[in-house]
Amino acid sequence: MTPVIDVRGVHRIYDSGGVPTHALRGVTLQVQRGEFLCIMGPSGSGKSTLMNILGCLDTPTSGTYLLEGLDVSKLDDDELARIRAARIGFVFQSFNLLPRSTVMRNVMLPLLYTDVPRADRERRACEALGAVGLPAEYYDHRSNELSGGQMQRVAIARALVNDPALVLADEPTGNLDSATSEVVMRTFLKMREAGKTVVLITHDAEVATWADRCVHIRDGRLLTDEQERELVARSASRGRGRT
Amino acid sequence: MRLRDLWAETWEALDANRGRSLLTVLGIVIGISAVIAMTALIGGVRQGLMTQMGLDRSRVVNMAVYGSQQIKVEDLDKLQKGMPEYEYITGSAMGSGKVASETKSSDGSITGVASHYFDVTGQKLVKGRLFTTGEDDSASTVVILDQSSARNLFGKGKALGEKVRIQGIEYTVVGILEDGQMSDPKSVNAYVPLHTCVQRVTGYDNVDTVAGMVREGEDIDSAVRQTKEYLTSYYHLTGEDADNLYVSSTKSLIDSFNTVMFGFQLLMTSVASISLVVGGIGIMNMMLTNVTERIREIGLRKALGARRSDITRQFLLESVFLTLAGGAIGIVLGYVGAFALAGVATSVLSSAGGSDGGLSLTITPVIEPMAVLVATGICVLIGVVFGYYPARRAARLDPVESLHYQ
Ligand SMILES: Nc1ncnc2c1ncn2[C@@H]1O[C@H](COP(=O)(O)OP(=O)(O)OP(=O)(O)O)[C@@H](O)[C@H]1O
Ligand SMILES: [Mg+2]
Repeated sequence: MTPVIDVRGVHRIYDSGGVPTHALRGVTLQVQRGEFLCIMGPSGSGKSTLMNILGCLDTPTSGTYLLEGLDVSKLDDDELARIRAARIGFVFQSFNLLPRSTVMRNVMLPLLYTDVPRADRERRACEALGAVGLPAEYYDHRSNELSGGQMQRVAIARALVNDPALVLADEPTGNLDSATSEVVMRTFLKMREAGKTVVLITHDAEVATWADRCVHIRDGRLLTDEQERELVARSASRGRGRT
Repeated sequence: MRLRDLWAETWEALDANRGRSLLTVLGIVIGISAVIAMTALIGGVRQGLMTQMGLDRSRVVNMAVYGSQQIKVEDLDKLQKGMPEYEYITGSAMGSGKVASETKSSDGSITGVASHYFDVTGQKLVKGRLFTTGEDDSASTVVILDQSSARNLFGKGKALGEKVRIQGIEYTVVGILEDGQMSDPKSVNAYVPLHTCVQRVTGYDNVDTVAGMVREGEDIDSAVRQTKEYLTSYYHLTGEDADNLYVSSTKSLIDSFNTVMFGFQLLMTSVASISLVVGGIGIMNMMLTNVTERIREIGLRKALGARRSDITRQFLLESVFLTLAGGAIGIVLGYVGAFALAGVATSVLSSAGGSDGGLSLTITPVIEPMAVLVATGICVLIGVVFGYYPARRAARLDPVESLHYQ
């Protein structure tokens, strides 16, 4: 079976005027359909950069990215947009809600760029909001009237509303208390059970335990299996040292 | 993206900065109201002049022969037969003399008129009737007065059917005519049948003015040319008499009027174009600011799957809506302004006209659907032209960079 995500030797160099930043230095990664993958790594290690490429928001400077077997680097702006609209649900690290629009409108926004009929949109938005556990009384609030945690849930609902095959979430639980965080993680788990592929970035080792698999990124490179084992051993020994 | 969605998004964006939007369309408002006021006023002036001065009788050709030869009363029928391009040829003879009622007497002009004469001058009968052919042929003593003459002679009493004496002979008033625009309201203008005039008033058989009505569909310029040729041969105008001929249509008058109007129109159009261009640049400026301010929103929309065309259309619709709103305000203001100006102009003209008895021109601005349509078209065009660059800029933004824009 072709993997949903098949990234090979991807580099990403930011070169906008100043000093070029080599954010990704040859990342190779496969994610199978229905897999729940967690990406961890220190700040500035290139997690968001990788996520943008996975979400077809950005293209690699070199290397290939096959999304469900399709070479994304050969697509133009509009073709990428079509893929984002139809196949990908993206939860941004900063929620990126339209501040003056209501929760409802924010969640329905991706549906504007799909074929979903108007009549179905509200229903789908309500379902998505229900899945992240936002109480219905907030649906008509403007999004800048919400708390950080509520905003995060609206942002997740927006990523779910177009029923994407691939859900990408950049620190979705960063602003949530552990109870809400659990609600959100259960939502991702439910999505995985529904056959969707979920990729999630987190700093939180607790959150990482929900995933099927976890990869670590350092300075734009994924750790090798050997390094991963070393890491596990080290954290285990550190754990022992403390007791 | 569906049109209704597009519309909803546009509306929300415009609603968010209503005040600024209104200020921005000011240039468009001024430009469009200038265009509208101008066309409405020019249309009004043209219509006013046409009804007042008979410019609509563009098919009238005036002709005269002078020098040793003159057009005689009996020539009129022959000319009519010789020149079938005319529906009719009419004429008048001018005389003057004392005109008197029972109570009043005044020096006046006495004009002998052939049939259709008033069709050419454009004066309309107010009361009574015109002369019959029989009355003309038999040189009957019947007279038509214009309204001010009737008032001068009979005061407030009724004139129709009363008797007046012209050079001592008694005439019956058979009709009352509206005042011609050349007629002096203080003197008396009496009209009698042509033959009556020739036989009883002037005593010679020259026709002083001759005019023909060119048949509908005939070319006026070629009718003028043919008339010149015909009159030249009819009166044997050769040698030094060759130039003693005058044939002219009111069409040339209309043409020169149109030339003047065209100049005025050109001036107003350039004023309007300048403010429209300035308005358009204002729109472009606002849309560019708009794009910059909403860079994160645009990035988000693109990240969520909006294609370039979705973004382009959204911003184009916004600028077109702005210019259309400006245009709508401009159309209303333009007509309001035109009516106000026309009111002022009419009262100024009539108060000036009252003292010297001249022109009283009523200007009623003309609301032409075509003008409204063209103005609307201009607005859409400006919206598209000046909105295109900002819209395109928005559409080409990179989603990741835009989302990180501060
Ligand atoms: N648009 C950009 N232009 C230039 N450099 C960038 C850009 N975005 C990211 N970088 C650089 O690329 C590197 C990786 O950034 P990235 O955002 O992927 O980190 P991250 O792992 O998501 O960090 P965090 O956990 O803090 O979100 C950083 O050094 C950053 O400065
Ligand atoms: Mg990040």
